[in-house]
Amino acid sequence: MGLRPGRIAEYNKPMNSAVRELTKGFFAQLHVIHALILRETRSRFGKYNLGYIWAFVSPLSTIALFWGMFAIGKRAPHAGMDPIGFLSTGFLPYYIFTGCQAKAGAAVQSNKALLYYPQVHPLDLVAARAILETVTLTIVFFFLMLLNTIYTQHLPLESSLQTLSGLGLAALLGTSLGLVFCAIKIEFPTFDHLIGPLMRPLFWTSGLFFSVSEIPGWTRDLLLWNPVLHIVEFTRDGWFRNYDSPYHSYEYVLLWILGLGFVGLFLEKLTRRKI
Amino acid sequence: MIELRHIYKSYNVNGNINHVLNDINITFPTGVNMGILGLNGAGKSTMLRIMGGVEMPDEGRVIRQGRISWPIGFSGGFAGILSGEENCRFVARIYNEDVDRVVGFAQDFAEIGKHFFNPVNTYSSGMKARLAFGLSMAIDFNVYLVDEVTAVGDNVFKKKCKRVFDDRRDHSSIIMVSHSMKTIEQYCDKCAILTKGSIHIFDSIKEAERIYKAL
Repeated sequence: MGLRPGRIAEYNKPMNSAVRELTKGFFAQLHVIHALILRETRSRFGKYNLGYIWAFVSPLSTIALFWGMFAIGKRAPHAGMDPIGFLSTGFLPYYIFTGCQAKAGAAVQSNKALLYYPQVHPLDLVAARAILETVTLTIVFFFLMLLNTIYTQHLPLESSLQTLSGLGLAALLGTSLGLVFCAIKIEFPTFDHLIGPLMRPLFWTSGLFFSVSEIPGWTRDLLLWNPVLHIVEFTRDGWFRNYDSPYHSYEYVLLWILGLGFVGLFLEKLTRRKI
Repeated sequence: MIELRHIYKSYNVNGNINHVLNDINITFPTGVNMGILGLNGAGKSTMLRIMGGVEMPDEGRVIRQGRISWPIGFSGGFAGILSGEENCRFVARIYNEDVDRVVGFAQDFAEIGKHFFNPVNTYSSGMKARLAFGLSMAIDFNVYLVDEVTAVGDNVFKKKCKRVFDDRRDHSSIIMVSHSMKTIEQYCDKCAILTKGSIHIFDSIKEAERIYKAL
């Protein structure tokens, strides 16, 4: 981020002025998002003694709880996958999805003071929070997987690219949904109370602690409408060499992201004046 | 330079539509310090916020050239949970300035002591204004939009504000809104009066004062 406007202009001398304006604007926006991320990190993690550690607590405790339940119920996950890997590939994409949705959805409400500076755009607030959330939870994911690999002495990784893409899809889906919620909340503030109940079924239906291949018949067809389930299956398929899930489709998820993203950006334009 | 073309702005307060700005057309040329007088509620701050790009007008265009500050005033722009220092860091970053230099300057200028490192929501409005003023002075703007802020502080602080502005006269100008003629007299070359949704520029401050007193 060390580039200054003057230098950027020099680099781009041969380009015409429209392109130059565009690059200048792009770099200015990067500065803003960078500043927002640093500030968000500070206000979220800087206040407590152990700071960043708290980002690990919530996902780790939930995974530990379900791990314990697997152990007590003597229930092994599908197709001989190790339980921690199985749960992590379920819960972390889910947490990235809900985290981005919640952070993006509240971005404008909780940072209104920042919109006082004309170069800070509402979408910058959304982007900064979503990036911070995704990066944090991705670090948590790989940290967990590292510990698990040391513990089980076994690394079943099939495709790191597919695994990362799964986490990325979760972030995009969460952010675009958050964008829609954000706009609705500006118009109808009480909608905030509905988001919790609306999102809760996803915890039980997204394959966090089961594999969709274990579900029979029409129930499975019904569950497969849920894009988060596709993301979880996609991520799991990417992580485990011996897990082949025939049921996931990242194209389906992309359609959701495009649809929600389009609606979210459109509503943002409509509600901009009301912020 | 800032140019306002056919600016309309109204607010809906409990079903009553209040037309604050009604077809405002005015140009603020570079290098002229302009004061805008208006009674409380005349829409001065709204106009300043529209010029600063904080708020959008219902209709009309704002043409801005040069580096224009955010509206410097008592409210807005600071996040309460972060300290004065952290707020300064953030602003330095979004304006792509040297962070340490800006923070150092703002700290020296605001003279709020150790409060600089406390959350902004523990500040008095005077402290907030001092910090906002110090911070904006740390960044080289062509136009400073000032919302009453120089009215704060003791005489030492006021003199300091005046001195910095005098130093910068050759490359920056100020657009100030106020309901007090005294401050405007001190800082500005020209004066405009905003009343009943429209604005009129006066060449001499004396004449503006005469009209303003009659309001």
